[in-house]
Amino acid sequence: MRMGEWVPMRQFRDGEEIDFVVVGTGAGGGTLACSLAEQGFTVAAFDAGPYWRPLEDFASDEMHQSKLYWTDERIVDGENPLQMGSNNSGKSVGGSTVHYAMVALRFRPEWFKARTLLGYGADWPLDWREMWSYYDQVEDDLKISGPVTYPWGPKRPRYRYRAHELNAAAKVLARGAEAMGIAWTPTPLATVSAPRGDSPPCVYRGFCTLGCSTNAKQSVLVTYLPRALRAGAEIRDLAMVGRIETKGGRATGVHYYREGRWRFQRAKNVVVAGYAIETPRLLLMSANREFPDGLANSSGLVGKNLMVQGNQAVWGDFDEEIRSYKGPPSLAVTEHWNYEDRGKDFFGGYCYMSQGPLPTLWGSTQSGAHGLWGEALVSEMQRYNHVAGLKVVSEYLPQERNQVTLTGEKDQYGLPIPRITYSWCDNDKALNRHGLGFMGQALAAAGGRNIWEQRDDTCHLYGTARMGDDPKTSVVNGDCRSWDIPNLWVCDGSVFPTAGGVNPSLTIQAIALRTSDRIKASARDGVGGRA
Amino acid sequence: MHPVTVLAAVAAGAGLLTWIAAGRSKRLGPAPHGGRQAPPDRGRAYGRRGAEVTASAAQRLNHASSLLAGSVLFDSSLEHYRGQFFNRAMYTPIIVSSITLASSLHGAGDTDPGRSGMRHAVQAVAGATGLVGFGFHAWNVGKREGGYSFQNLFYAAPIGAPMALTLAGLLGVAAERVRDADPDAPRLAALPAGKVLALATAAMLLGTTAEAGLLHFRGAFQNPAMLIPVTLPPLGAAALALAATREPGTSQADAKAAMWAVSAMGVAGVAFHAYGVARMMGGWSNWRQNLIDGPPLPAPPSFSGVALGGLAALELVERHRSLSSPRRLHAPP
Amino acid sequence: MHPRKDHFPGYDVLAKRDTPSWNAKTRAVIDERLAITPETHRFLDKAAFATLQAVAERIVPQPSDRTPLVPVAAMVDHKLASGEHDGYRYAGLPEQGEAWRCGLKALDAEAQKAFGAPFSDLGAWAQDGLLKACEKGGLTGPAWDGMPSDLFFKKRIIPDLVRAYYAHPTAWSEIGWGGPASPRGYVRMGFDRRDPWEAAESYPGHEDEAYAENLRVGR
Repeated sequence: MRMGEWVPMRQFRDGEEIDFVVVGTGAGGGTLACSLAEQGFTVAAFDAGPYWRPLEDFASDEMHQSKLYWTDERIVDGENPLQMGSNNSGKSVGGSTVHYAMVALRFRPEWFKARTLLGYGADWPLDWREMWSYYDQVEDDLKISGPVTYPWGPKRPRYRYRAHELNAAAKVLARGAEAMGIAWTPTPLATVSAPRGDSPPCVYRGFCTLGCSTNAKQSVLVTYLPRALRAGAEIRDLAMVGRIETKGGRATGVHYYREGRWRFQRAKNVVVAGYAIETPRLLLMSANREFPDGLANSSGLVGKNLMVQGNQAVWGDFDEEIRSYKGPPSLAVTEHWNYEDRGKDFFGGYCYMSQGPLPTLWGSTQSGAHGLWGEALVSEMQRYNHVAGLKVVSEYLPQERNQVTLTGEKDQYGLPIPRITYSWCDNDKALNRHGLGFMGQALAAAGGRNIWEQRDDTCHLYGTARMGDDPKTSVVNGDCRSWDIPNLWVCDGSVFPTAGGVNPSLTIQAIALRTSDRIKASARDGVGGRA
Repeated sequence: MHPVTVLAAVAAGAGLLTWIAAGRSKRLGPAPHGGRQAPPDRGRAYGRRGAEVTASAAQRLNHASSLLAGSVLFDSSLEHYRGQFFNRAMYTPIIVSSITLASSLHGAGDTDPGRSGMRHAVQAVAGATGLVGFGFHAWNVGKREGGYSFQNLFYAAPIGAPMALTLAGLLGVAAERVRDADPDAPRLAALPAGKVLALATAAMLLGTTAEAGLLHFRGAFQNPAMLIPVTLPPLGAAALALAATREPGTSQADAKAAMWAVSAMGVAGVAFHAYGVARMMGGWSNWRQNLIDGPPLPAPPSFSGVALGGLAALELVERHRSLSSPRRLHAPP
Repeated sequence: MHPRKDHFPGYDVLAKRDTPSWNAKTRAVIDERLAITPETHRFLDKAAFATLQAVAERIVPQPSDRTPLVPVAAMVDHKLASGEHDGYRYAGLPEQGEAWRCGLKALDAEAQKAFGAPFSDLGAWAQDGLLKACEKGGLTGPAWDGMPSDLFFKKRIIPDLVRAYYAHPTAWSEIGWGGPASPRGYVRMGFDRRDPWEAAESYPGHEDEAYAENLRVGR
């Protein structure tokens, strides 16, 4: 959307029974809404957050841009309480893709059969070869800027745009990897390295995780949603869905709060795409006489098996000026420990990337994880321009005790506040040790001094409405359709049975495109779908 | 004073000195070989090319060399400013291309056959400097993390860029040598000058295409116009190669048309690149970023430079006179 | 620990305000932040605010000759008054506003108990002692109302104060950050490279060059 531009949008009446209501407009919901609308369905996608115009609404400021995050109250507990908000939950049209770091990695094929092939977690009801073709599609839709050849995994087509120039922080990763004798590569990123339509190439301003004010970032907001609008979908912003109504075992629409009152939108199908906290929360909040334990919850697994990924880091000082605030934060990556299984004392894998924290994030890290305050903090902060770090995205295992439940406390909409319980298992701790140990060596080999470990961070959310082949052990099937209610679907990170060792957005989007195709196919066969 | 001002002054000063040292520009006058020359165009005392085919072609070669040197001057200034002159050697191409430009412009206005030793020396220095620069850039690419990878070919010192200075020098040297050659059967390095130059400029076009291709690949050929500099110049190169195989005296209208097309493309490229700068975030109002991060404005004219070299070659091929065939182009007065 | 000093002499990130590094939205947002004065408080009462100011001075101390000071306490009060949440809270802590009111009152009570004076009247040494005890969970007086003092320290005091401080342009200049960057971003990204609109670090023997460069960032 250009500066000052207005875009026409179709609007449905509440009483109109539209084909699909999609709750959430992020990687899952936004992508699916676009694809469904392009397949010819009537679609309204709801988001609790506003429809931003990045060129006009986004400031270059960390504090102000927290308006992109889901900052409604949530209670965290367990042995290792999660930090929510900034790094894992979005409340804007476009969802977390508006503030994600744009890392666009594919799953390792074996992860889709983790239980059978690697001996941990659960198998997915999806075939990696089929996923490979949907990854191709997403990479083309987002014009991923990636390396000319990718060092790991089965052959993939060339990325549509070339990789970005590396900043010094990324070169630190490269030096470390070369010293450790492992491969590295410029990270495939969803921000263009050359013009694309109204998107100018990235100007390396470094505020990626605070919203891209140039539209170089190929978020759902600037890619799939404009397409969805052109195809006749409605994006209803500032609309908080609080309950899904059912009748006779089928979903009939959603109750939502907008412009000061609760309203009801009728629909033939409902897709929940609120990410792994809001999705189970909505399903649980929708409990009624027909479904007293919440919707789609005959397995009892809605809200269970909450997974995150490790996001631990090592940081060090360099003689050179690094100035990691320039450029996208994660310009270089190594997936070595995703594809190498020898030498591990744990299940799962991890990749690690270079980092570029801005001042308040870096201050929080130095004071929180490093425990500095007072003179120690302010003087250490003056080394900001000389710091580089390596951060993992690592695979934690699913555990039923890690879960999302509802509390008695109410939020601003009068809806129950969720409680998020999370604890590491022994495997997670072994993985943490391995990752921190290896990265520490790599950083030292790259010339880092005064290296310290940041142990408290996690990222991404998964698993609370997992997909599977068996209604007893999963919430939805491989097509993301709930086992219990045939016209209710879940399409976001919640459906992941395992987390994998890479950032999830590309996989969520590939699943969304597949789901759309499956819906189209079943509608053609007269099953569910349009009904 | 700001270092950039100092540098500009030094470069301009060096150019001026070169101009003076090359001697006052000679005007139309009797050629030492006597006889076979067109009558002076009485209406225009300046700007007319030398009547001898050798002088005329030499001037054309100097035009080519001027464009290439100018392209290098602006391109290396911009890119080395971006690189903050981190290595002192990065000042070299600016000074050298500046004296090369002066020398080539001087030659371009010189209608006399007969070489200038000064210009010849300067052009030879340019040729050598380009080669040294190539070595430097190759070393810069190789020492980066990842070594000789696409990533470093894209973003480290551009490996092909210094060669443009070598091309300028080569064409400049050729210009001086051609001036010395026998107008009836000009030879370079003991071979027919037209053929040698045609083949050489064809190779130069291919090299320049490789450079543009690499950088446009970096830009993912996002605009279809980015395909033109990787398709048109190779066709031009083919036309030149073909021209070299033809009988002396055969019309080379098609090859000439191709060279003019490549030449025009180089000029149009500047406009395309200016449009590219406008498409960057902030467009021209963010020029301090976009002039150095966007598509380089001074780069495309190097194609025009090489194409003018091709035209000179074609002129030599076309007007290479075997003793048996009288020269059609120059009727007696 | 490196002693705190002026690593970027002459550098003021605000000099870039009218360059292409700042867009209109950024200017509006930062202008609003700069309008917060050190004494502004709407959420906390006078006593609690005085305690907060004293705590802030220990967590993110500022040079005594700095004018104007970064209004850290007022920025935290602003956050509490506007009801901006972080998106989560630890099970042992009440809502942020309640937690702050309770915690500041409790710190004052601990100061009265140990030294017979309000927290803000204590010397730096005594204040640090109390804060260290708070950090370790060692403060358990009745005024805490069951709130664990270590959680309050780590999940409220530290993040709220540190984020407020480093959200201020004065702190950006202090650490040599480039500041807002849109539409103009950056060009030179390698080791030891800076754009002419970035802070120049002062190296021994080259202080004057850094100073001269830093005066040019707003051009």
